[in-house]
Amino acid sequence: MDTTERILQVKNLSKTYGKASNKTEALRGITFDVLKGEFLGIMGASGSGKTTLLNCIATMTTPSSGKIILHGEELSKFHGTQLSDYRGREIGYLFQEFELLDNMTARENIVLPLSLHGMTEGEAEHKIQEIASKLEITDVLDKFPSQMSGGQKQRTAAARALISNPDLVLADEPTGALDSRNSKTLMDKLAEFNWDLDKTIMMVTHDANAASYCSRILFIQDGKLFHELRRNTQTESTEDFYGRIVTVMAQLGGGSANVL
Amino acid sequence: MFFKQVYRNAAKNRKGNGLFFGSLVIAIVAFYTLLSLGEQDVMRFLATIESDAVHKLMLLLPAVYILSLFFVFFLVYFSCKYQMDDRRTEFGMYLMLGMKRRRLFSMLFGETLWNSLISLLIGLPVALCLTEVISLATAKLVGLGIVGHHFTLSSGAILWTISGYIIVQLLSMLILCISLVRTEPAELIRGNSQKAQTEMSNRKSTVTFILGIVLLLFAYYLGLFHLKDLNYLTFLLLLSGIVGTFLLYRGLGEFLGKRIRRKSPTAKRLTTFTNRQIQENVIHQYTAITISSLLLLVALSCVSFGISLWLERTTDTRSTDFSIFGSESEIHDILEQEDVRDMIKTSYPLYLSPTDARISVDEFSEALRKTEGGDNAAKYLSIDYIIAEGSYNDLMHAMGKERISLSHTQTAVYSSPDWEDALLNAALKKDVSIQINGSKYSLLPRLYQDNIVADRAITLSNALIVPDTLYSTLAEEPEPYCTNINLKDETVEQMGLMQAITKMDGILSKTDLTYDSYLSGIGRNLFNTVSASYLTIYLGILFLLIANTVIGLKYLIQQRQNRHRYRTLLMLGASTKELCDSVKRQIKVFFSMVLVVAVISSIAAIYSMFSVLTGFPPGTSIRTVITFAAIVLAVFIITEILYIKIVTRTAYREIYALETEERRNAS
Repeated sequence: MDTTERILQVKNLSKTYGKASNKTEALRGITFDVLKGEFLGIMGASGSGKTTLLNCIATMTTPSSGKIILHGEELSKFHGTQLSDYRGREIGYLFQEFELLDNMTARENIVLPLSLHGMTEGEAEHKIQEIASKLEITDVLDKFPSQMSGGQKQRTAAARALISNPDLVLADEPTGALDSRNSKTLMDKLAEFNWDLDKTIMMVTHDANAASYCSRILFIQDGKLFHELRRNTQTESTEDFYGRIVTVMAQLGGGSANVL
Repeated sequence: MFFKQVYRNAAKNRKGNGLFFGSLVIAIVAFYTLLSLGEQDVMRFLATIESDAVHKLMLLLPAVYILSLFFVFFLVYFSCKYQMDDRRTEFGMYLMLGMKRRRLFSMLFGETLWNSLISLLIGLPVALCLTEVISLATAKLVGLGIVGHHFTLSSGAILWTISGYIIVQLLSMLILCISLVRTEPAELIRGNSQKAQTEMSNRKSTVTFILGIVLLLFAYYLGLFHLKDLNYLTFLLLLSGIVGTFLLYRGLGEFLGKRIRRKSPTAKRLTTFTNRQIQENVIHQYTAITISSLLLLVALSCVSFGISLWLERTTDTRSTDFSIFGSESEIHDILEQEDVRDMIKTSYPLYLSPTDARISVDEFSEALRKTEGGDNAAKYLSIDYIIAEGSYNDLMHAMGKERISLSHTQTAVYSSPDWEDALLNAALKKDVSIQINGSKYSLLPRLYQDNIVADRAITLSNALIVPDTLYSTLAEEPEPYCTNINLKDETVEQMGLMQAITKMDGILSKTDLTYDSYLSGIGRNLFNTVSASYLTIYLGILFLLIANTVIGLKYLIQQRQNRHRYRTLLMLGASTKELCDSVKRQIKVFFSMVLVVAVISSIAAIYSMFSVLTGFPPGTSIRTVITFAAIVLAVFIITEILYIKIVTRTAYREIYALETEERRNAS
């Protein structure tokens, strides 16, 4: 992890839904940076605004105020091709429900972000093979999603999110639809990508187990940053970090007064 | 509250599904137009002269109506399914909140009834206007004169239209509700369950696809080269055609899959996705595609057949207005009456008689036999009647046609206008001759087919037109067969042909003479036009409408069921424009797949229909047929383009909605 290069800056981000009396503030001025090679977790109760935050970064929703800056460029200024390029190339998105296109084979699904930007399957074959062997899905490349297990589906989705070599991978509850064994395999793989290839990952999760793979966790409550946990990846094991996460989660229910 | 909800949902359904609603309104117009046929001016007029035939047609109408209801049922069923699939989550929610199923169903039935009512309120007035226009136009076209026209409102037709339409609506709703009862609320809330993409084994699909093509080609082969008459081959043809089309589409999905796999290494952007979408449509909807394709084939054939019947009518020219039978002196007395004389342009005796002369047609039959397909005609060729050249020339003169001129060793062959002329004409071109009582006479190299009497009911298979001197020696009956009279052009122009003939008819009916008038000829003629061409064109248009709506809806249903795919693509970096382009291509290919097979099959079907079964309408030039075919084709293409445009626009709307929904829901 490069502690000097800030890949993403979120500055005073707010998002309000509705008007006047019917106003809901999903985000109330959140500020944080994401460093290159970081594995950042976002945790918080339901309705705390974590998915809104992820969607703002993914440009699927427009913030009411504040700035999101990726590599020094402000996202709100992106339009048209620039916006599609950003979505396909600079960020990879991993969904809770996989969202594989079920009428396409694994290979066709994985290559989609590349082919959307003009590369053919033939040209991408080397990349496909490489990423598939890393995620252990080489056997299912020519299968349709209906012929795969849940774990294989999510790893295929992960391959799709990673293939275009994005600067930032956004994951929305990626283990939400998986059993514990498959969750562990997926998280091991994601951690491997983060560690070996220096990929920056930002993951929203409820799952303390999944979160324990992160190097830093931001806790959000009522649209505000509420707490931050850092893990010393050199000295602290995932088990120890898990313990700390669970403690914060237990305190989350009681508001900021209970946090040490 | 209940009614408010019904009202609101119904409005939403109409708005969201204009294609279907529009088709329903057209169906109502078609129903009323069909059912009110008996009340139209032309039909009422026909009933006075051809009551039997009209009565038969009226008996046929309910059958046609039920047939069209049957097909409209499919249309309604698919459309309701499309609407209900979209609202599954909503229904699930109602049930979870404690709404009784009975209440849910009464709400759905209420919505259906309300929308039916609105479509009837739009459709019926349109239908009334249309039938009035048709009535007036036909009356004008056939010279009925519009004096006798009055506004008609057929209460029976209205009642039948309403009840048939509502029954079809409620029935399809009932079937859908039954399947809804069997679904758990939780399953409903989850939304649509999709079928997984599966493919048949390689070999099986190849065999199916190739077998489909082979069977279709076999059907074309039978139709084009072996169909002489309606017999067991017709059944074989239909069977292989239908099964062939079905198998072709059944195997097509996998064939497309293979093509996608082959192409995908070089495919860019959304090409693979687009092709997979098309493949999925074919795999899951092959039954609907087959039915639609066959319906389009029937539609095209029906319309062509109807138009050919219409052409046949228009080519049946008026030769003489009255043929009066009786002694020359009696007829002369009548014709000298002042009121009669004022109306008459020409009158002439028609010399037509049976003959006992030995007429040998061996050479002629031989020539016929050598003509392709002329075996049968040669077998039954015989000539027992003769017509005097002078009478025939009087007829030609009255019609404004060129006279024929026979030398004393020449004769000409006459045949009734209903007879197949192509064969005889082809044989006559071979410079043939016949023998009468042992003397050789050459035949003019063309066939004469003008009606020699006013009423076409009197038909004469074949006769020989002979020089007057020869006629007097050969004729068994020296007296004229009848006297033909033609009305003055000015009178006809002033009063309209129909009224002029009716007036003359009035005068003649007071005498003791027997006569035939062109009126009954027109009657039969009109009847053919109105009944056959009207019904076939009606069915053709209805089938066209249903087939297109079913294809369009099938596509939209699939798109809506898979809208999450488009959402994912947006997230993966596809632009809205790219998605719209993909959707457009999908719709085009989907429609083309159905159309191509239908059009190829219909070319074969129409060709064999004209060349083998009915033949081109007599006297119609190839150019007229081609012109009409081009018009039909143009109308067909425009209809298709219109449907494709409507479906594409609806599909675009869903994509745009997705984008806004995505932004709205991302909270």
